[in-house]
Amino acid sequence: MWANTVDCEKFDRIVLDLLYEELDELTAAAAGRHMEHCTRCRAIGSGLRATREVGALPLLEPPERLELRILQAEERATQLLPIGKRLGRGLSLLAGYAMRPQVSMAALLMLMIGSSLFFLRAQPGDREHVLVTERGVPESDNEVVTVLPRKADAPEPARVAVHPPPSTRGEESGRRDRAAEAKPEAAPMAAAEQYAAAPPAGPARGAAALGASAEDKDLEGSESSSDSDASYDAAMAAYRDGRYSEAQRRFDEIASLGGPHAANAALYGAQALRRVSGCPTAAPRFEEVHSRYPGSVGSDAAWQAADCYRSLGDLARARQNYEQLSADPSYKTRAKEAIAELDQRVADQEAAARKAAAAAAATAVAAKAAKPAAPSAPAKPATSLK
Amino acid sequence: MAAVPGDATDEMLMVRYQRGERKAFVELVRRHNRPIYNFVLRQVRMPSLAEDVTQDVFMRVVQNAAEFKHEARFLTWLYTIARNLCIDQLRKLSHRRHASLDQPQRDQADQTDAQLLADTVGDPNPQASAERNALSSEVRSSIVKAVDSLPDDQREVFLLREVASLPFRDIAEITGVGENTVKSRMRYALDRLKDALCDFEEYARALR
Repeated sequence: MWANTVDCEKFDRIVLDLLYEELDELTAAAAGRHMEHCTRCRAIGSGLRATREVGALPLLEPPERLELRILQAEERATQLLPIGKRLGRGLSLLAGYAMRPQVSMAALLMLMIGSSLFFLRAQPGDREHVLVTERGVPESDNEVVTVLPRKADAPEPARVAVHPPPSTRGEESGRRDRAAEAKPEAAPMAAAEQYAAAPPAGPARGAAALGASAEDKDLEGSESSSDSDASYDAAMAAYRDGRYSEAQRRFDEIASLGGPHAANAALYGAQALRRVSGCPTAAPRFEEVHSRYPGSVGSDAAWQAADCYRSLGDLARARQNYEQLSADPSYKTRAKEAIAELDQRVADQEAAARKAAAAAAATAVAAKAAKPAAPSAPAKPATSLK
Repeated sequence: MAAVPGDATDEMLMVRYQRGERKAFVELVRRHNRPIYNFVLRQVRMPSLAEDVTQDVFMRVVQNAAEFKHEARFLTWLYTIARNLCIDQLRKLSHRRHASLDQPQRDQADQTDAQLLADTVGDPNPQASAERNALSSEVRSSIVKAVDSLPDDQREVFLLREVASLPFRDIAEITGVGENTVKSRMRYALDRLKDALCDFEEYARALR
């Protein structure tokens, strides 16, 4: 209210704005109220208003030819416009189009698409064109997800392990624990979490495993897997009972059919064969399992093969297996200890050999010394005196 | 070429003319031809010269159309051009008046203006036109004389306010002085006009 109060001093400042209606409504109303009470200001305002009305300058109509002259001159000037200004006009024309909202929205859309493409991976690796299909068995039985690598020159489709459903996984874990108790030398197998070999590509393996874990839930409760579980349980029971020939036969059947227990069955089959026929026969089988299932099961098989080689006295091949296993993180420590033990054993053998050789040499010398001198050749009888 | 709507602002028309729409320029000429001519005429006081200057004003618009910024006010730009051309012409005229005795005397020019006013008067304020039509040509010529007798700076402000109907802020921008200075000049101009027209002011009061 105080700001809109008008006194004579303020009226003198705003009287022209009032006259030409450039005041806001509140101030104009305040000035009008002031003029009602102030004779001086009312006289000023009335005088200026009357002057403006009477003194309004009459406007002359320009000659009609003037507009025509201007337009003709414009036409001539446009034709004679320098190239720079013509370009400027063209630029203005383009800028006018560029300033349109449709163009702005289109530019924004293109920017969004471009930034999205920028954040997309140009070469996401083998996962870009991975085909996940089932192989060999009906979908309900298939817990092995086959990952087809994108490159055509890949040796063969990599196979990614799929965790079994939680219910069977618990039973399997229990079976593995029992097997480890029954056979301490198979302890490395406890680390086996996968049933099949991993593909060469590490990231694809992880991604496929994630996808496979989702598949686990779909396979949970699947009745089709119960048959293979029963066969495997029967084979394990035979193995635990010491019926190694039967266990070997059952494990071989399971391994030949494939499926989730194939890898473990092959390994147990090789172990059963070792029980039945000994290491000379079992060592090649372990090697076969090792080469066929290059995962934790394969590492177990390599360990068992090395053990066989040690028992057979083939320390060189045993050492070769241990060196391969030293690259596996789960076997690294044990493999190095085994290599050191082998080295010590070789050194002991060499020392014993040297000692034996020395002893043999000493014995030979002593024997030679104790032996009476060989009778010399009989002296030639003196020739008769002739 | 698209039709130019009558309610398009001057700035929109100018932007269209920049894009090559000649009709936009025609519309601009039709809108501002008359006030520009009157502004120039009251400055140079010679109808033929006012025509030439008015044409030059619009030619400057044509030549500098590409430099017009769409956020600028067209009227401010237009009257800045007109004012500068008027100053140039007045400067040339002052040299010629000193150099030539053939130039008509000031009184003769005033009489010519009065005759012109009597013949072709128009009115920017149509509401009062009925009453104003009753005014005699003597009154009109008195108004013109009163305006012409104003000092240049006051006349310039008066014309920009009354003829061009520009707000004081734009007048300050065109003339390059402060807004308060513009108002002060306008107040002096109105006071002088009031003194010159006191007899007619009484008549105006009687009209109300």
